[in-house]
Amino acid sequence: MIEITNLSKKFLLAHMNYSSLKGIMLWWRRPHREVVDALKNINFSVAAGECVGVIGKNGAGKSTLLSILARVYKPTSGTFSLGGRVAPLLELGAGFHPDLTGYENVFFNGVVLGLSRKEIAERMPEIVAFSEIGDYIDAPVRTYSSGMLLRLGFSVATHVDAKVLLVDEALAVGDLDFQRKCLARIAKFREDGGAILFVSHDMSAVRKTADRAVWMKSGAMHMFGETETVVSAYERA
Amino acid sequence: MRAELAELWRYRELLWTVVLRELRIRYKNSYLGFFWSILNPLITVLVMTLVFKYVMGQQVKNYSAYILAAYLPYMFFQLALMDSAQCIIAQITLLKKIYFPREILPIGSVLANFVHFLLAMLVFFVYLLVIWLLNPGDNPFRATVFLLPIFVLMQLALTLGLALIISALNTFFEDVKYIVSVGLYLLFFLAPIVYFAEQVYYAGGIDDRWRGPIYTIYLLNPVALLMTGYRKVMLDPQQVAMAGPSGTHTYEYLPLDWGLVGVAACVCLGTLIFGYWIFNRKKWEFVERP
Repeated sequence: MIEITNLSKKFLLAHMNYSSLKGIMLWWRRPHREVVDALKNINFSVAAGECVGVIGKNGAGKSTLLSILARVYKPTSGTFSLGGRVAPLLELGAGFHPDLTGYENVFFNGVVLGLSRKEIAERMPEIVAFSEIGDYIDAPVRTYSSGMLLRLGFSVATHVDAKVLLVDEALAVGDLDFQRKCLARIAKFREDGGAILFVSHDMSAVRKTADRAVWMKSGAMHMFGETETVVSAYERA
Repeated sequence: MRAELAELWRYRELLWTVVLRELRIRYKNSYLGFFWSILNPLITVLVMTLVFKYVMGQQVKNYSAYILAAYLPYMFFQLALMDSAQCIIAQITLLKKIYFPREILPIGSVLANFVHFLLAMLVFFVYLLVIWLLNPGDNPFRATVFLLPIFVLMQLALTLGLALIISALNTFFEDVKYIVSVGLYLLFFLAPIVYFAEQVYYAGGIDDRWRGPIYTIYLLNPVALLMTGYRKVMLDPQQVAMAGPSGTHTYEYLPLDWGLVGVAACVCLGTLIFGYWIFNRKKWEFVERP
């Protein structure tokens, strides 16, 4: 489903004040630029129905990898292919506008994720029911609690018929009941042939959900294989 | 560029949703809502009319109609550019999470303002109707109004092109929005909005042989041409007359030069193409902004 070949990403880290004309004028003589290798030659694939955990220290390139798959960054070199629509699980309602109602925001997010307005209107009752938001769906999102935002965001992302789900440490919030519901939803997603890439620092969560794991170390793949092998090696390191 | 356009077409539903969202957000927490879009220019033009009619001695009949005919389009130009300067930075968290053609944001800002402009024009026509009903002999309206879409489309192309350039540059240098606001302020006086283009042609202190070239250079500014074009196709040829200490000055009406309209049309289209090109070159760097 997900196929990643020789993927590399370099970032230009500018030490100059690049954000104002004044900064440019004062610094143009000596542009301090440093190239950072955020990802180095990544190769792996995720099969349909599989869940792969991505582990590693902060700054190892886990989120960069997910962002490239979400097509936020262009890779410097290498290619990847996704077998269908990709849904990044937006953290705590990123992309929700505080002054709009839950309903209007679901509409917007659904269309951003690639549904048509008609499709999203058809699925609206299902999305609202799953999120357990109830009558609050017609209230401005600024009045929501963080748990409500998370539930609504999760509900939209898992109702857009995505084939690939990108999860970046997002499931930690929400009460136990809802977490159980999320896990059931994710299990169903996998049964239907969806692939999941899952970044986490919570090793027990990785052990529970991932079939295989990637250990990232300063931008490169350090280890890739069965979850138990990789996670225990990571814990020992 | 064709691939980019095809991608934009694929995401047309999102563009439409962004426009609706912008329209909803703007007046979400206000009671009068959309009426502010109308009320604001009406009050401004009322004050302008009072000042120019009674203080500066402008004696044109239905002077406010002539101001509105240029001021409403200028307001669209101004608001669209100011909105688009901010649109990428305001949504940068969303941009960092998910893919969609980035140009949807500036184009959406322009189109949302365009909808307001079209509604304001509708109110303007009602206003002209009221003037006509109040004094039937005084119809300021003109049959060439069917040429109006030419100017509207030219302005839309120019505004979209500039919005794409400004939104891309302002993401890296936030000085751009200050430059834009100063530029818009100056442009307001460099375009015939509170005065008439004829007054530039007949300006005092100019040698007669320079009148033609200066007037042409003045109208090479596409905004100046558009504003005078709106007036000339919608409203009756006016006889400008200014009362001054040395008696009343009258200025002869000058017809619209269609050659210059052609030049401006090329400039507008060129700006749009250039803007789209530069935006596409820069759009992948927005999220990597150092």
